[in-house]
Amino acid sequence: MVFPIPHDSTPILEVTDLQVELVTADRVVRAVDGVSFRISRGETVTIIGESGSGKSTTAMGVLQLLPHDLAVLSGSVKVGGVDLLVDTDAARRIRGRMVSLIPQDPMTALSPVHSVGKQLTGAVRLAGHPRGKARARAVELLEAVRIPRPEEQLDKYPHQLSGGMLQRVLIAIALAGHPVLLVADEPTSALDVTVQAGILDLLLELQERTGIGILMITHDLGVARLVSDRIHVMKDGRFVESGDAEQVVEHPREEYTQRLLAAVPQLGTFDEDTPVEVPA
Amino acid sequence: MATYIAKRVGQSVLTLFLTITTVFVLLRLAPGDPAAAYAGPNPTTEDLERIRAQFGLDDSILVQYGTFLKGLVTGDLGTSFSFQAPALDVVLERLPYTITLAVSAIVVTALVAIPLGVWMARRADTAKEFGANLLTITGQSMPDFWSGIMLLTVFAVVVPVFPASGFTSWGGLVLPTLTIAILQIALISRMVRREMSTNMAAPYLTVARSRGVGERALTWRYAMTNSAIPVLTALGTRFAAMLNGVVVVEVVFAWPGVGSLVVRALETRDYPLIQATVLVTAALTVLVQLLIDLAYPLLDPRVRLAKTAKQKTAPAVAAPEGALA
Repeated sequence: MVFPIPHDSTPILEVTDLQVELVTADRVVRAVDGVSFRISRGETVTIIGESGSGKSTTAMGVLQLLPHDLAVLSGSVKVGGVDLLVDTDAARRIRGRMVSLIPQDPMTALSPVHSVGKQLTGAVRLAGHPRGKARARAVELLEAVRIPRPEEQLDKYPHQLSGGMLQRVLIAIALAGHPVLLVADEPTSALDVTVQAGILDLLLELQERTGIGILMITHDLGVARLVSDRIHVMKDGRFVESGDAEQVVEHPREEYTQRLLAAVPQLGTFDEDTPVEVPA
Repeated sequence: MATYIAKRVGQSVLTLFLTITTVFVLLRLAPGDPAAAYAGPNPTTEDLERIRAQFGLDDSILVQYGTFLKGLVTGDLGTSFSFQAPALDVVLERLPYTITLAVSAIVVTALVAIPLGVWMARRADTAKEFGANLLTITGQSMPDFWSGIMLLTVFAVVVPVFPASGFTSWGGLVLPTLTIAILQIALISRMVRREMSTNMAAPYLTVARSRGVGERALTWRYAMTNSAIPVLTALGTRFAAMLNGVVVVEVVFAWPGVGSLVVRALETRDYPLIQATVLVTAALTVLVQLLIDLAYPLLDPRVRLAKTAKQKTAPAVAAPEGALA
């Protein structure tokens, strides 16, 4: 399977007027209500929002990983020019090869009864490497994500590794098929703060090296500020503000963004008389 | 590992000892006189005393127990009152029939219930799954004496394709096997369905799908291997129960196994035979349970590495359902 590799100017991912309706037991919820964005080579685009804003649903919608019987998608999601909502089989072909997912909680994202190496070499073989060379390629990938003593780690099981290490393994698995786009769904929210920085550094370094595009989903303004080229602020299924990272963070136009920014805890003088402002 | 096995074998021996002791005492506390059962109609007091002396029943319970234990060490479980033969030999003669039926039933159950459960999990909330669900509930609700007699009526009397009773040819195995399997398939398939549904909704499955793993591999290689422990436990527990003799089915089909033997032994208060049956079947149950336990580490690395892992504590593996059933 050969995919057209987009030129620098054409977007890797182009989402136009995406709507996602989730069918629940008693009603239909419009979780994503007409969002549009694009990601080009080497770019990181962040969707930031509170829980329930629809940001993760957008990410899963892009990957076509929402349950078919519960989620109705409309609009268009073009990856490398192919509209996944028109060609329903395309998602299955591109997953792992053009677009990969970096999940939210690394501790539950790998099968507990299969070794790390088995799951990584599985991904390597899906990418078309012959069985004989899969292990060597797996070691290469673990080295690329800065895992020490990769040979040893291959034989370990998920419960033997820390969250940070597992997230590196998952990034290695995501990279196995040489994707052009990573969808990172809150990749650091389940990790310790000290580990978070290492994972973000790794993603940025990989991007610098390979020019991979990243769709970053986060509720963490610090993360968004660090990694993003562009930021979309999401609330109730819509983008309330979009723009360059610096502009959104330094000069937010919308009141909601301002409140979101103000909600970031800052170290200051201790003053118990002033109540903490919490955005509604 | 060797220590673990040694410990488990020790536990098993203790379990068997306690079981047989309990049965020994309960039998003698229960009402009913074996001598009366063998004396024929209108026995005289002398007749009864003669029989009691012959069976060693005129001694105190403690003396009887001592004699029993002495025999146990040498593998002598006493002489069956009604068969007038070594009780152990009588049981061992019947055992192959029960084992044959149990193996046949568990194999059929596994071969049908696992694919059926997986099929139901993959088609959750569809009309087809609803239909299958209805069938399994029906299967689960049918008492085995009834389904046995129905199968017997239809396939041995109305359309005589299979023999009605006994084990004279392999065809005789079919109806008893089906009778047991109907209920077991219903129970196990619903359990497989539940386990598979849980594992198919697990985050690692979505993540595996996101890297291009196909649906068949997701189902069998990921969800099924993660469901293996509870499914194996359920099958093993059912199998162990069948080895104790499937009493009702054996009686309905006149199957010459341990189940029908124990009914006869109880009716005639044949103490040595009851004790021998209990000891043999309890030993088999304990053995199967031990094999299941030994399989856990093979199926789950968290169990396998729990003792040696220095990195961090393994997540607790929930006691598989049915482990104590």
